[in-house]
Amino acid sequence: MPLDKTGLYFYFIAMLYIKRGNLFQLLESLLGDYRVFVPSRKGDSIAFTAFGETEEDYVIGEFRSFEPLKAFYFLGREKVAVDFSPENPRNDKPPCIVGVKSCDLKGLKILDFVFMDDESGDPTYIKARTEGLIISSDCTKAAETCFCTAMGVNPWPEKEYDINLSEADEGFVVEIGSDKGQKLVDDNLALFEEANEENIRSREFNRESVKQHVEKSVRKKNIPPVERLQRVVRKYYESDVWSEESVNCVECGACNVICPTCHCFLLYDQKSESSLGRYRIWDSCMINDFARVAGGENPRNRLWMRFRNRFEKKFDYFPSVADDIACTGCGRCIAACPGKIDIRQVLAKLGSLR
Amino acid sequence: MKNPYRSIEAEVLKVTTETPTIKTFTLKPKEELTFKPGQFMELSVPGLGEAPFTPSSDSEIKETMEITIVKVGKVTDEIHKLKPGDTVGLRGPLGKGYPMIRFIGQEVLIVGGGVGLAPIRTLMYELFHMRDKLAKLVYRGGCRNPEELIFRKELEGWMKRDDIDMVLTVDEGNDTWNGPVGLVTSIMDGIDMNYSRVKAVVCGPPIMMKFATFKLKELGVIDTNIYLSMEKNMSCGFGKCGHCRIGPYYCCKDGPVFTYDMIRDFPGIWD
Repeated sequence: MPLDKTGLYFYFIAMLYIKRGNLFQLLESLLGDYRVFVPSRKGDSIAFTAFGETEEDYVIGEFRSFEPLKAFYFLGREKVAVDFSPENPRNDKPPCIVGVKSCDLKGLKILDFVFMDDESGDPTYIKARTEGLIISSDCTKAAETCFCTAMGVNPWPEKEYDINLSEADEGFVVEIGSDKGQKLVDDNLALFEEANEENIRSREFNRESVKQHVEKSVRKKNIPPVERLQRVVRKYYESDVWSEESVNCVECGACNVICPTCHCFLLYDQKSESSLGRYRIWDSCMINDFARVAGGENPRNRLWMRFRNRFEKKFDYFPSVADDIACTGCGRCIAACPGKIDIRQVLAKLGSLR
Repeated sequence: MKNPYRSIEAEVLKVTTETPTIKTFTLKPKEELTFKPGQFMELSVPGLGEAPFTPSSDSEIKETMEITIVKVGKVTDEIHKLKPGDTVGLRGPLGKGYPMIRFIGQEVLIVGGGVGLAPIRTLMYELFHMRDKLAKLVYRGGCRNPEELIFRKELEGWMKRDDIDMVLTVDEGNDTWNGPVGLVTSIMDGIDMNYSRVKAVVCGPPIMMKFATFKLKELGVIDTNIYLSMEKNMSCGFGKCGHCRIGPYYCCKDGPVFTYDMIRDFPGIWD
């Protein structure tokens, strides 16, 4: 039955549910205030498309998108200053991202740590994060490369979302995760109804089966337990694993750009006829010049050192400074690597050293 | 909200040629811009890019700033083409600088090399301003040859002062040079100081910093008293772009001045 304003108490005592058609109606209504992106099927993968522009085969469930979530908050190439003006040059509508998966939410937490500090926070990132909306969703499938459970992440969002959707029957069980999410539901109450027991049961069944599926594939990979990862990377810092495992690396940087936690960038100045622009562009620590100074010294002049650095950053630096591992188990780096380098195998190899 | 990527417009007032490859630029920022010794600036040639430099002028002078720059790459080539009246961008100050308060009441030993003598000049002005609060001030500086010795006149003037024990050396002498010849490490022995309590500051090319640090340790200076001005690939200047990481630190945000104990265990610190 549909909810009305007098039925507000419902979602304190019961779960909400939204039919697929109503969800798209809700998204339609958001287009005035947000740039809305929804995952849709693109050949074998799932990629975000701007909602409402073309007919798409939207995929709310299944598994993580091809591109990492960071692409909406920390753009691949973004103007961050014009001339000598203190203004933030970006002034478009904030993003509303739909179908965000649990692994990417963990990635966003790492980026928040990097870009949202009080002292010198990144204005465009902060604007997109604070004004944007996240409508996340449970995974209903897992890719062969998924290993979130090995990184302590469940294949369903548990925090960091505004509302979460769990595919169930012909619609979604809805959970509210923030004041913004609460307001979104309050403002569109007619589109929601109360979830019934069957909806909840099918959500729980799906969560458990996807988790088991990922866990089964993780078990075969022998990845060390998440609480041992920092210790393992530190302890075997001088091992041969780094040079052995980086043999097939071609320094393309795909693992960096596709990673939801990689945040390194370079600043690039460009002069047009009328103005000066400063751009923030994704950079890659796998590339030889990354840490080189103008005088020529390069602290990581060997490929295996840069390879090791990437692991050190994710499994030692971030646990040290932010108390969190900067790997989400999304497996995008595995899928993207032309050298077939598998992060699971690297971690397993380190874990097997005695 | 402050935009940390934005540069302040500055005018080039004066260009001084120090050596064939080193020039000092006197800049006048169009907005107030102050810094502390050891902090650095990102200097940009409009539309061509930025690079990090530590000012070489007295930080008490608020209206202008001098930056001494050696020509080594793309951005510095462009900077060296600048003339009085040209416009540049300045972003900063960045980093933490020297903890001057820890030098109060102490014997302070400054070890500088090559173009490292430029940022040390800023520190020296500050140390001279607070000279009555220091137990002792010692300076040991060096560079490759007398032609490459920047601020030579000024440095020779300091050598005549009686409130500083100062010696300069060159790796290779010539007929204008009466001082010692040899690496800076060769003039660090036998100084009348209590090495075990000395506060030592090292600034210079990485290879010089490495051997000066080893020499200080050999003389008995303790790691927590060795202040190193590290050179890494600083780009954003506030710990976000990732290029200048040393272990758990970013050289730009947590440095560029580190005590040796903070960084000694991390690989590639001298490279």
